[in-house]
Amino acid sequence: MTAAAPPVTDQVRDRVRDAIAARTPLRIAGAGTWLHAGRPVRADRRLEIAESAGILEYTPGDLTLTALAGTTLDEIARVTRAEGQWLTLDPAGSGAGTLGATFATGSAGPLAHAFGLPRDHALGLTLVTGRGDVVRAGGRVVKNVAGFDLTRLAVGAWGTLGAITELSVRLRAVPEIDVTIAVAMPDGPDGGPLAERLALVRQAPLRALAVELLNAPLARATGAGDGQLLLVRLGGNEPLVRAQRDTLERLGDSREVPPAVWASLRAAEPAGSAVVRLSARASRLAGLWGVAREAGDAGSGALCHASVGRGVVRAIFPAPRQDALASLLSRPMPSTLICESLPAPLWDSLAPGTAGDRLSTGIRDAFDPDHLMNPGVFGEPAA
Amino acid sequence: MTGTDAGPLATRLAAIVGGRHVLQRRSELLVYTSDGLPGYRKHPSLAVFPGTRDELIAVVRLLAGDGVPFVPRGAGTGLSGGALADGVLLLGLNRLTRILALDADNRLATVEPGVVNATLSRVASAHGLHYAPDPSSQAACTIGGNVAENAGGPHCLKYGVTLNHVVAITAILPEGDIVRLGNADGETEGYDLAGAFVGSEGCFGVALDVTVRLEPDPPAVRTLLADFSSIDAAARATSAIIASGILPAALEMMDGATIRAVEASIYAAGYPVDAEAVLLVEVDGLAAGLEADVRTIERLCRAAGARQVRVAADEPERARLWQGRKKAFGAMGRVSSHLVVQDAVIPRTLLPEVLARIQDIGSRHRVSVCNVFHAGDGNLHPNIAYNAGDPDETGRVHRAMREMMRACIDAGGTITGEHGVGLDKLEYMEQLFTADTLAAMCRLREVFDPLRRSNPGKVVPVHSCREWTMAPSVRRAVPPPPAA
Repeated sequence: MTAAAPPVTDQVRDRVRDAIAARTPLRIAGAGTWLHAGRPVRADRRLEIAESAGILEYTPGDLTLTALAGTTLDEIARVTRAEGQWLTLDPAGSGAGTLGATFATGSAGPLAHAFGLPRDHALGLTLVTGRGDVVRAGGRVVKNVAGFDLTRLAVGAWGTLGAITELSVRLRAVPEIDVTIAVAMPDGPDGGPLAERLALVRQAPLRALAVELLNAPLARATGAGDGQLLLVRLGGNEPLVRAQRDTLERLGDSREVPPAVWASLRAAEPAGSAVVRLSARASRLAGLWGVAREAGDAGSGALCHASVGRGVVRAIFPAPRQDALASLLSRPMPSTLICESLPAPLWDSLAPGTAGDRLSTGIRDAFDPDHLMNPGVFGEPAA
Repeated sequence: MTGTDAGPLATRLAAIVGGRHVLQRRSELLVYTSDGLPGYRKHPSLAVFPGTRDELIAVVRLLAGDGVPFVPRGAGTGLSGGALADGVLLLGLNRLTRILALDADNRLATVEPGVVNATLSRVASAHGLHYAPDPSSQAACTIGGNVAENAGGPHCLKYGVTLNHVVAITAILPEGDIVRLGNADGETEGYDLAGAFVGSEGCFGVALDVTVRLEPDPPAVRTLLADFSSIDAAARATSAIIASGILPAALEMMDGATIRAVEASIYAAGYPVDAEAVLLVEVDGLAAGLEADVRTIERLCRAAGARQVRVAADEPERARLWQGRKKAFGAMGRVSSHLVVQDAVIPRTLLPEVLARIQDIGSRHRVSVCNVFHAGDGNLHPNIAYNAGDPDETGRVHRAMREMMRACIDAGGTITGEHGVGLDKLEYMEQLFTADTLAAMCRLREVFDPLRRSNPGKVVPVHSCREWTMAPSVRRAVPPPPAA
């Protein structure tokens, strides 16, 4: 399937060049669903990318697809599903989110357990840099080491190097069977039993697509069940799925749940929430889980889920209280803390600025010397 | 750098690493004048081999202080001329061979850059783990070299290339700063600096240590050999397997010429010598369901025209089938004294057309092309055995290779899937990338290496960088390049 590429990249380039001439900072906007993340972007004008939607090339036999950045994840799912394929990314939010925003923010969901992050899916992209030039990085084939890797650089850069206008991504075949099993997990203030159970899960002979721990409030909110539980997504042929279901039964009370729980999980974040992620080596997950639990108890409750294989806890605070968040964020932790979304007034006081090291500063200056593209989005101070 | 400079520098380097580990005599340096790709001979001015992390840091800082360009080198098995030092200093990293940490519980290992790829897997095997990227040179090549080249290998079809396995790097930049890229203790926020460093071919600095992800050994493995009477049929079978939804751990193709070279060598694997192509297909994972996949693959191969499909009965037979594949380039040594191995990637669905074009190009230039490659990824390795002493034949080989690369670019592909650009592919970079894109690559490089001292002259054609350096808007941000 091929369509003539509209000169979207040229239009974006012209708008960026106008902004450079007028020294107008730009906020890059896809579907606009991320703008509530509260990131303190200091921009006068929006650079709309969502208008540029459409699939440019899709050859199912190659398991690759090229689309304009404004194409929604729903549209990609619709087109690829018809060929028995899918883009194995399920970031928080909904299918109305765009391909460009997913890669620009490096957002991933539970499927990252098996398939990795956007960086692992990107084959190439077109970037209109903050200098107003057009970079065509990577390519459309599944292996490529030609030249320095500008693709990896732009993915997860939150638009600070430029606006992504086109992306080529790797697809996968939809598994023959795709089922989700909920397994009850021990709960309670003493994290010991949970830690032991999670260790068993990580050592179990599973080749799951996703293994996600949900706390009781989130399990209830998503309709996955009552009490703290593990959601395990199994894919493959019948004997493979059956063997893994047997394994899960040995790990705790288990039952099949409708696949819709994954969409509910992605959309579990009420408007105005604060969302933070804690991560460490996977063996230390139970400890992180305890930290998130305490923060929830101290505030007004938290919806928590965690990628068991990746060691990442995502805590959603639907009614964030500054004191509870401040104590969580200021707590010395031998782990990594990322603020995904905070109410705007809290951002400046709570979130640590990132990307301030010499290399990151140099890269920013090399691609966007006037700091016109999403300035402030990493929480960095004004120049 | 001139010979007269080498004396005092060599003395100061010897004070850091010991006199035995600084080579300056031409005869001693001879072994470092080529890498795995014959056809290039470049003489380093001097070679230094630090034995510890501290020595490496001291050496890089000494070179920074003197403004001396250098070429980092691991085992020298690269296939793009990337580790050749043309009149500059060669920095050998193959003495840095410590495995610093192996966290079996979290499946992570932190290693020094000189650790050999296969050694890491051997050590990890005590914990039921292995390091998945497996270049054919894995018995010799180093993790540092793998990181520089973003190396692949047959099993990258399922498990991903080096990039997908590196979680963190500690690197020393050419100017002497030590930086931490990526994060082994959680997620990474901000720019993917580890991702940018992987595949930078030694132009961004030198890794002091690398933390990689290990994979659990699969409880079950099945290896199939399917033979075909045409390359076309084997290519159709490849597409059918991938389209079926099965993701083999590896899916390799060898053509008739390769099969016959392997079977005539000490690596004979029992491939049918009258076949025009064989597919080596491996599936792995939990035992449950694997037999069903094997039957599906067998059926798809037969439907595409396979004459015979054989499943390795036991581990020795499986190892033998793989040895033929992994040593195929070595087996070519029987055919002629020299071998040029190409590396390009095309969209998988175009395999039949592009392979036919490659054969056609070979016949027109009267060279014999063998194909042994990662069919599942569309990663071609056409190779030509020839006698480098024959200037006419050598000229024809090079012309044929150029046309083949053009054919791969025209098919929407790329000029290298896992070997890197190095010196060998420089001439194709402008066919593949726009001037703005190459300029952006130069800018990125100069953030890491402002004076372009680390592996000078590789990856991006020098004039692509010169052109953008002339622009006044650029000059203010970046220090001037060194005088030519």
